[in-house]
Order: sequence, then C-alpha cells, then structure tokens
Amino acid sequence: MKTNELISKLKQSDVRAVARLLTLIENEDKNVETVLKNIWHLTGKSYIIGITGPPGAGKSTIVDLLAKMALENNFKTGILAVDPTSPFSGGAVLGDRLRMNSAQKAGIFIRSVASRGHLGGLASTTRFMINGLEMLGNDITLVETVGAGQGDVEIVKVADTTIVVEVPGLGDEVQAQKAGILEIGDILVVNKGDRPGSDRLAKELKMMLSLGEHKKWTPPIITTTATKDLGIDELWNQIMNHREHLENEEINQTRLGKIKYDLENQLSQHLYTRKLIQIGENEIENMAERIFNRDIDPFTAIEEIIKQ
Amino acid sequence: MDKAKIRVLIAKPGLDGHDRGAKVIARALRDSGMEVIYTGLRQSPEDIVEAAIQEDVHFIGLSILSGAHTHIFPKVIELLKEHKAEDIKIIAGGIIPDQEIPKWKKIGIDAIFGPGTSTIDIIDYINRSVK
Repeated sequence: MKTNELISKLKQSDVRAVARLLTLIENEDKNVETVLKNIWHLTGKSYIIGITGPPGAGKSTIVDLLAKMALENNFKTGILAVDPTSPFSGGAVLGDRLRMNSAQKAGIFIRSVASRGHLGGLASTTRFMINGLEMLGNDITLVETVGAGQGDVEIVKVADTTIVVEVPGLGDEVQAQKAGILEIGDILVVNKGDRPGSDRLAKELKMMLSLGEHKKWTPPIITTTATKDLGIDELWNQIMNHREHLENEEINQTRLGKIKYDLENQLSQHLYTRKLIQIGENEIENMAERIFNRDIDPFTAIEEIIKQ
Repeated sequence: MDKAKIRVLIAKPGLDGHDRGAKVIARALRDSGMEVIYTGLRQSPEDIVEAAIQEDVHFIGLSILSGAHTHIFPKVIELLKEHKAEDIKIIAGGIIPDQEIPKWKKIGIDAIFGPGTSTIDIIDYINRSVK
C-alpha cells in the first residue's frame, strides 16, 4: 500500500490500513513519520485503560471481560496486548488472544504486540500504536502489559486509568510495602478470588494504602474471579468512577504531562541519532575504549563529544 | 531504522484437540526470530481470517488433524479474498492426504508440511517466501 493510499484509507477507518499502520509503527519504518504527521490531529480521542500485573495473574482474561463490558455500554473498543520478545532469538510467541475469545467474537480489534527488547512492560512504540489504533474511531483503548515485575511501571505514563492485577500466594505483606508497581494502580484488583489467601491479600493492600499519604483519589481494591466473570462489573464501575474523577480534576493536565514526557524522550533519541550520524559510531567506540582504559572520565568524554 | 519481523498466525481450526504439533511449530518459529500469534483451539475460519488481518501477518499456519481441512481450506481462502487479503499466505500441517496436496496448492494453499517435516524446512520456506 502506498503512503498516500494508506493515509486516505486510515481516514476511512479501514481495518487493513490500521493493521498495516501498526506494523509500520512497530517496525519503525521510514514512512511512518509521514503517515503520523497526516493523521495526528485525528488521534488522542480514546480513553486509555492500562492493565498490568505479574505473569499469569489473569490480565488477558480481565481485558477480554472489560472489552465485552465496554461494548455492552456502547463504547467502541480496541485492544493492544504486549508480550515479551525472546532476548536470545528476537522472536516471540504472542498468546494473549487465546484468552480473548469473547472480544474476538464481538469483532473487537485486537493486536498482539511483541516488546522487541524494550523494558518497562511495553514496547517502545506502544504510544504511537495506541494513536494508530485510534484511527478505528474507538472510544476506549485497553492496553495489556507484559507480565510485569516490580519495576515495570511504564504503563502509568501511557494510560489514563491504570489497573494493577495481583493474585494471592506471591509473598507476604512486606511485598505490598515496596515501591513500584503497586504504587501506580488507580485501581487494584485481587484476581483469583476463589483461591485461599485472596481475602488476606485484599486486606494487606488496604492496609498498605491506609499507611500512605492521603490523595484525592484513593485506589479501590476489587476482588475478582475472572474465569467465572465475578467482580468485573464492579471493576468496570470503578473505572468509570476514576474517569469521572479525572475529568472533574486534572485529566488534561495529566495528559499534557504524559505528552511532555514523550516529547522529551523522542527529542533525546533524535538528538542522539543526529549526533551519531555526525560523529560516526567509531567515535563512540573510541571514547568507550578511552573510558575503559581510564584515559578519560565519562563526564569529560561527553563534553568532548558534544563539542565536536 | 527498519526492524521488520516476520509475523505468523498459528491456528488450530476444527474440533480435534491435538495441539502439540501447533505448539511445536510456534516455538520453533519463535526460536528462529519470528513473531508468532498463537490463537489456540477450535478457531472458526472467520476468527482466523479476522485475526490474521488485525495482526497483519505474512502467513497463516493451519494445523488440522481431523479431516476438517476439506471444509476449512476453501473457506479460509474465500474469506481472505473477500477481505482483499490474498497477500496473506497459507501454510498447513497435520493429516492431509498426499494425493490431495496438488489440489489444495492449486486453489491457494501455499505449502503443506506433513508429519515428520523438520521445523528447519518450515522456517527456511517461510524465510525464503517473505524475502
């Protein structure tokens, strides 16, 4: 598909065109900037819900049920589901669709995304992929992260509402005190509520929250059993409450902050690439060698590179 | 910076539950650096084609052991045509009688890999076709 044709088909919300755009974005194709420049004014219109949590916590199943719930409430929905890329082969098995049968049957657009070496729980191109997906005209975008560890908090820079899914049996209450993923949840979910220990986990999470500073929004803790479709309606209601809260308060401010964060990242990437083209990759290697041999310190090295 | 990857959808249509073959292939393709979208058991042709389009894959890999391929192959080919997505190629594996293979290739199955095929041959085939 030629770039012009792609742009005009995107404006008609053509499914194949959107799928192709997502490919171009994740491949960091050379034509992608032209396309995004032409559609940028049409993006940014969906409410972004992020779902994160450890592997096997039930994220995909919850996303599937939320998508169904969104549809029942007349919201057009799209799904991006990120899975890890193998650090050895660069390949990936993307299996989130397996658990998304009802969303698939309902005709919801689901895209499986490989993290392609990016850390933090998303792929480096996820933000633009959300914008690409928005060309379908969706009201809601559900973004599922890689099965996340304690430090994979990037979703919070992307989503309007971040849901952290936890399950019983992974650790004692000290785990809940640690910084990281639990702090980023606007809503905390205890899934597998039919398992022993789920009540205790919910209590511990509640305790953790009560020890923290008082904020305008206190994250609710919801117990679900996703495989039996239990608790999902309450989760949905809380998402809508959080959305209302944001809209009354600071949603534009938060979104602006996220765009600023992206801009800073993109800018540093661009400046770096430009500098690299200017001085050549060899110069970086030379400098690294000099730092290694203690001929120069890293700070002076950077000053010298910048001056070149 | 071009970081294109080969993407393959592996589906297991029909009602038999023998998905070991499909899983072995998925894993082998992953280990060769491809991105494999694994959709699991009991997928209808409609599900498969829709997923292949959304996922923008180069190949659909169908694993069928039940004999249902006589219905599923033509249906998947027809649906791809309907969506103007004939550029997505179909490869198949499982139990497909040898004498039928020319017939299926003629109507649009790109390649058929029977029991005992080395995963290396499948990987080579895909790599060669995409380039």
